[in-house]
Amino acid sequence: MAAEHILKSYDEELAKLNNMIVEMGGLAESQLVSAIDAVAKRDSDLAAHVVEGDTQVDDLERELDNLAIRLLALRQPMARDLREIFAALKIGADLERICDYAANVAKRSIALAQTPPIQPVHALPRMGTLALALVKDVIDAYVGRDADKALDVWRRDEELDEMYSSLFREFLTYMMEDPRNIGACTHLLFMAKNIERIGDHATNIAENLYYLVHGTPLTEIRPKGDKSSLEVVAPDRVTR
Amino acid sequence: MSVSLARSMSTAFEASGQNGPGTAVNPSPAKVQIRNVGFHYGKFQALKDVSLALHDRRVTAFIGPSGCGKSTLLRILNRIYELYPGQVATGEVLVDGQNILAPGLDLNLVRAKIGMVFQKPTPFPMSIYDNIAFGIRLYERLPKSVLDDRVESALQRAALWNEVKDKLRQSGLGLSGGQQQRLCIARAIAVRPEILLLDEPASALDPISTQRIEELIAELKSDYCIAIVTHNMQQAARSSDFTAFMYLGELVEFDATEKIFTHPTERRTEDYITGRFG
Repeated sequence: MAAEHILKSYDEELAKLNNMIVEMGGLAESQLVSAIDAVAKRDSDLAAHVVEGDTQVDDLERELDNLAIRLLALRQPMARDLREIFAALKIGADLERICDYAANVAKRSIALAQTPPIQPVHALPRMGTLALALVKDVIDAYVGRDADKALDVWRRDEELDEMYSSLFREFLTYMMEDPRNIGACTHLLFMAKNIERIGDHATNIAENLYYLVHGTPLTEIRPKGDKSSLEVVAPDRVTR
Repeated sequence: MSVSLARSMSTAFEASGQNGPGTAVNPSPAKVQIRNVGFHYGKFQALKDVSLALHDRRVTAFIGPSGCGKSTLLRILNRIYELYPGQVATGEVLVDGQNILAPGLDLNLVRAKIGMVFQKPTPFPMSIYDNIAFGIRLYERLPKSVLDDRVESALQRAALWNEVKDKLRQSGLGLSGGQQQRLCIARAIAVRPEILLLDEPASALDPISTQRIEELIAELKSDYCIAIVTHNMQQAARSSDFTAFMYLGELVEFDATEKIFTHPTERRTEDYITGRFG
């Protein structure tokens, strides 16, 4: 750990910034857990609770931005301190987006709960659990300033991408088999995409953490497993 | 994306390269080569084996806590230390390849090549005009009209002309602190030196005057090799291309300024610039 600043209040402000990220991370995790639960249990009350909870994260992000701006203006940070504040700003924005996606999933789950249950809905919580693990691990990595653990998260996102690609095909198949599935499957597709994007934001956090720790950006090309954009629906496969 | 932004913050230290401090970032030649320089005040060793290069048309900042030897190093560069008994410099300071610490060198020629400005403005107790003309007259005999042009040119370069052109015959001591400091810079550049040494040139000035001096440094660096000692880290970060961090008479780290202030290599540098120095 770095030595303490001569100015104790500077340390206190940096610690506060750190705690706010951890708090936002905790909120992102709990929002995602609840959103997945709402989908799995068709629980619209819980889903509504997640949607309402999103403002709490937005408020925290604004507070974080204000503190970071204040630190930049008043402390004129250098080196590691500068990277701490820069990373907190970026990570805060990523966590806010993760919560937005969790809220989107919850919002669509309310619509989904009004349609008859369909088989592929069970795959979504599986995907959500994997995304949750990435978010949880990257926040743990942030707390421990563990760049190796962050790198691990960064690489594991490929698995989430692959799961999304596979679900994408599965949803298409269901839609082709029976047009009555199109409504529910379209919601599910968007929800799956939201969860896939949560993984991408977890990798952003990992990249910023890597930069914070090492002072140099991660320049490797991230492995990506989302092939859904290349998917072609063959007309002869569509059920008439 | 986060990586691209992070990358933009780090381009400078990528540019600093792996082949020694700042070599890759700087295409300009080394104007001054400081090699294994040591310095003693009597028995006290103030500098230990300091080696680095000052590049032409670049600004090199020296930072470090009081007593670290940064001002001493500057004083060696124009041999001003020789005014005091018991002070001995060892090693070599090569200016364009010539060792200025070698005995027998014409000190006046060294000092004509190397101008110095101190923390406290030191105008001579004479008119603004004569403050500038004094140094020129020491080295050159010029017709009055040419001398007038040289005085004006130096004051223009020091961004002071517009403020003093109507009172050139008034005493330099009547100017404000910031104007006096710019007068001293004008005086230093009037003799057309190649190297400018600035020892905390803005530490006694208000923020506006400080910014004028910094702007002046940015202007002057297109023509001079500049070394600046400063306790103001933001000033070093803003004004210099290279930064040297010194501690207890040693050069701890020397690199591109961006690298020093965003991602220094040495823990002691990081602790100092982030205010963690015990």
